Amino acid sequence: MSIILGKDDLAKYPFLEEAGNYIRETHFDLDEFNRSEFLHIIERASKRIEFELIQGKVFIDLEKYDIELFTFLVSLIIMNYINEDSAIKKFSLFEAMRVEKFLVSDLSKEKDLTRKNLLISKVFRDLFQLDVELDPKNNHLFKMNISDYLIRATSFNEEEWKLIGRAVDNGYVYLDGDETVRLIRYEIYNLMYNRIKNMNITKIPEQIKIHAVLIKNKLAPAIRYSHTTTDLPPCIKKALELLNKNENLPHSARFMLATYMLSSGKSVDDVVLLFQNAPDYNEKITKYQVEHLAGKKGSQTKYSVPACSKLVNENLCYATIDCRGITNPIQFGRKNRK
Amino acid sequence: MKKEITLKNNEFIFTLFKEYYFKNIENLRPPLEMHNREYGIMTFDSRVIRHLSFSKLGNLKAYIIQNVPSDIFCSNAYYQFPTFPINEKGWKGADMIFDIDLNDLLLPCQKEHTFYICSNCHVVFRDLTKICSACQNTKILKNTIPCFRCINALKKETKNLTEFLKKDFGIKEENMEVSFSGNTGFHVVVFQSNYLMLDSKARSDIVGYIMGKNLSPESLGVRNDKHGYRIKIPLSGYSYGWRKRIVQKMKISEVSNDYLNKFIKKIGGYQSFKNEIDKIASDLGLKIDPQVTTDIHRIFRMVGSLNSKSGLSKIICNNLDKFDPMIDSCFFDDDKNVDISLNTPLKFSIKGKKYNLDKSISTVPVSVGVFLISKKLANIASCSS
Repeated sequence: MSIILGKDDLAKYPFLEEAGNYIRETHFDLDEFNRSEFLHIIERASKRIEFELIQGKVFIDLEKYDIELFTFLVSLIIMNYINEDSAIKKFSLFEAMRVEKFLVSDLSKEKDLTRKNLLISKVFRDLFQLDVELDPKNNHLFKMNISDYLIRATSFNEEEWKLIGRAVDNGYVYLDGDETVRLIRYEIYNLMYNRIKNMNITKIPEQIKIHAVLIKNKLAPAIRYSHTTTDLPPCIKKALELLNKNENLPHSARFMLATYMLSSGKSVDDVVLLFQNAPDYNEKITKYQVEHLAGKKGSQTKYSVPACSKLVNENLCYATIDCRGITNPIQFGRKNRK
Repeated sequence: MKKEITLKNNEFIFTLFKEYYFKNIENLRPPLEMHNREYGIMTFDSRVIRHLSFSKLGNLKAYIIQNVPSDIFCSNAYYQFPTFPINEKGWKGADMIFDIDLNDLLLPCQKEHTFYICSNCHVVFRDLTKICSACQNTKILKNTIPCFRCINALKKETKNLTEFLKKDFGIKEENMEVSFSGNTGFHVVVFQSNYLMLDSKARSDIVGYIMGKNLSPESLGVRNDKHGYRIKIPLSGYSYGWRKRIVQKMKISEVSNDYLNKFIKKIGGYQSFKNEIDKIASDLGLKIDPQVTTDIHRIFRMVGSLNSKSGLSKIICNNLDKFDPMIDSCFFDDDKNVDISLNTPLKFSIKGKKYNLDKSISTVPVSVGVFLISKKLANIASCSS
C-alpha cells in the first residue's frame, strides 16, 4: 500500500508534486480567477505578498489546503507578472522561511514516524535529492551523509556549521530538525525563484493583473543608502551595492559592513537603516545584532573591522589601486583624508 | 667543477632510473579511470611537463621507458579533457588525498638526522642556516634520513588517520589506499564515490576536523556570556565524533547540565574549559598537510615510480605494521658497488644493513649510493673535488 501525504501537508508544502497533481485533477482553468468567488483567493495572495515584501515578515497564516494551493499559485503568477528580480528574490526567501517554519515544526513535533519519514522522503529526497534519515536511536535526530552536509554547510560562514563542531559518526552528520531544515533554505529559495522565473502563462487573468499592478505600485522604490560612496573602500561599496539590489548578503559581509560603519562613527540606528533592503530584514533582530557589535549588548565587546587578509579569505575583497598599503578597510578613508 | 659533479651524479642516477623502469615497469600502478587523469613528469634537467594523457597503460609505460623522468605524477582529479589548460579540463571529481610528512610531526629525534645542504656546493650543515658559509648561496635544502623512531611515528600517525577515516567518515577499507611516498612520508588516497565531488572548501573543513582545529566549547553546548557561561546540551548529544573524544578524555561521565556545570566550575570556568579542549584537540588531532588535501587539481606522485629525492619507490603498503620503507621500497642492487664521497659523516640503515660512514671515499652497494646521492649527501667519488 502506498502512503500518501495528507491534505494538511499539501497546504503547508504547496510546491510538492502532489499539490500540482491536485490542481491538474480539478481541471481548473486560470480564467476562472476572473469569477467573483475566487476574488478572496487573489486578495489573500496579495496580502501574503505585501506582508512579505512590504512589511518584511514571514506570512505564517495557514488555511485549508484548497485555499492554500490556489493562494500559492496566484502568488507565483503575481510575482511573475511584477517581474522585478529583487522583489522575486525577496519573496522567494520569505517563502523559503515560511516552509522552514512548517517543516521544523513537523519534523520536531510529529510523533507518527511513518508521516515523518514520508515528509523527509517528499521534501528532501524527491525535491532536493538529499538523503536524510531518522536516527534509529533518537527520533528527534536526523542523519545525512557527510558530503551532502558539507556541500551545503560550507556556504554558511558561522563557526557552528564547521564539521568539527558536529556530531559525526561512520560517514554521517547528526542534526536536529531545525538544523536539518536550515541546511536546505537556499534550495527551497531557488525552487521558488525558478518556479516564478520559469512560469510561462500566455494570458494572465484580468483580476490577477489588477492586483499585481496595485502591489507593484505599492512597492516603493527601495530606500537607497545616501552615503557618498566615493570615500568608501571597494569592499564596503560592493556590500552596499548588493544591499541596494536586495541581494542576500552573507553573514561575514554584514559583519564587515556593520563594524566598518560603526567604526566610522555612524550611530547604531544609522547602521540598522542600512540593512533595510536586505531580503530578510527584521528591525528588532538587526538592531540587537548591531548593538552587540557596538559593544552595547551581550559580552560588551566592541567588534573591530575584519582585516583585509580575512576579507580576502572570505571572498569579500574587491581591492583597487587605492587600497595599496592598507591592511584594514578602516585605513582606506584615513589614508585618503591625509 | 661543481657543475661537473652534478652532471656525473645525474648521469649515475639517470642510468639507474632507466634500468629500474626497464626492469620494473610493471610496478607502475595505473590510477582508477586512468584515461581521465592528467599526468606530469619532472625531467633530470628540472623541467616540469604537465597536461599529458594516456588512455592505455601500455602507452604510459612506453613513454616512461623512452623518457626516463626523474619523477612521475598523476592527477588526483578526473577530467573530461586531461590535456587541456586547467580551466578547460572539465573537472569530474577528485580522489581525496592525505599526506603525512615527517617534517610535520616535529619529533625530538629529527635534529639528529636532519641536514641542511647548500644547493650549489653541497656543503652540509647540521644546524638550520639561511646562507652557505662556503659559497654564500642562499638556497639551502633540508634533507633527513628517517630513523626507526621516525618511521614508527609516521606509521602510527597513518594508522590513526585511516582509523579516523573509517570510524568518523565511514570510508571503507577497500576504498582507500595507503602508500609510502618514497621519501619521508605516507600518502592515503580515498576514492569512495561520495567524497569525490567535494570542492576545496569542503575538503578544508574535513582537514580541520582531522587536525582538530577550532573546536570550541560552543560545539559542546557551552557558550560564553557576560555572566560567565551558559550550558545547553546539544540534542545530538556527546556520543559521536570530537564531542565524544572530548568528554571521554575529560572523563565527563554524566551528560547533564548540572554535571557539566559543576565540572566547568571545578576546572576554573569557561576559559579553562576552552583551554582544556584546545589541548585535547591538539593532542588527538592528526598532523596532515592541509594544502595537499584541499588541492583538487594536484598532480601526485605515482605508485611504482621512483622519488628523485631519495631513489626510493613510492609503494603501496598492504601491511603497515610490517612495512619498512628502507627495505621494501629500495629496488636497487646490493651486488654491485659504487665509490662515493660523503659530504658529511653518516650513520644509517638500509636494506637491513647498518652503515657508519665517515667523511671520505667509501665503497658502498649501488642501493646505498643512489640513496645518498639523491639525498645530496654524497657524490660519485671519481668526480669529487
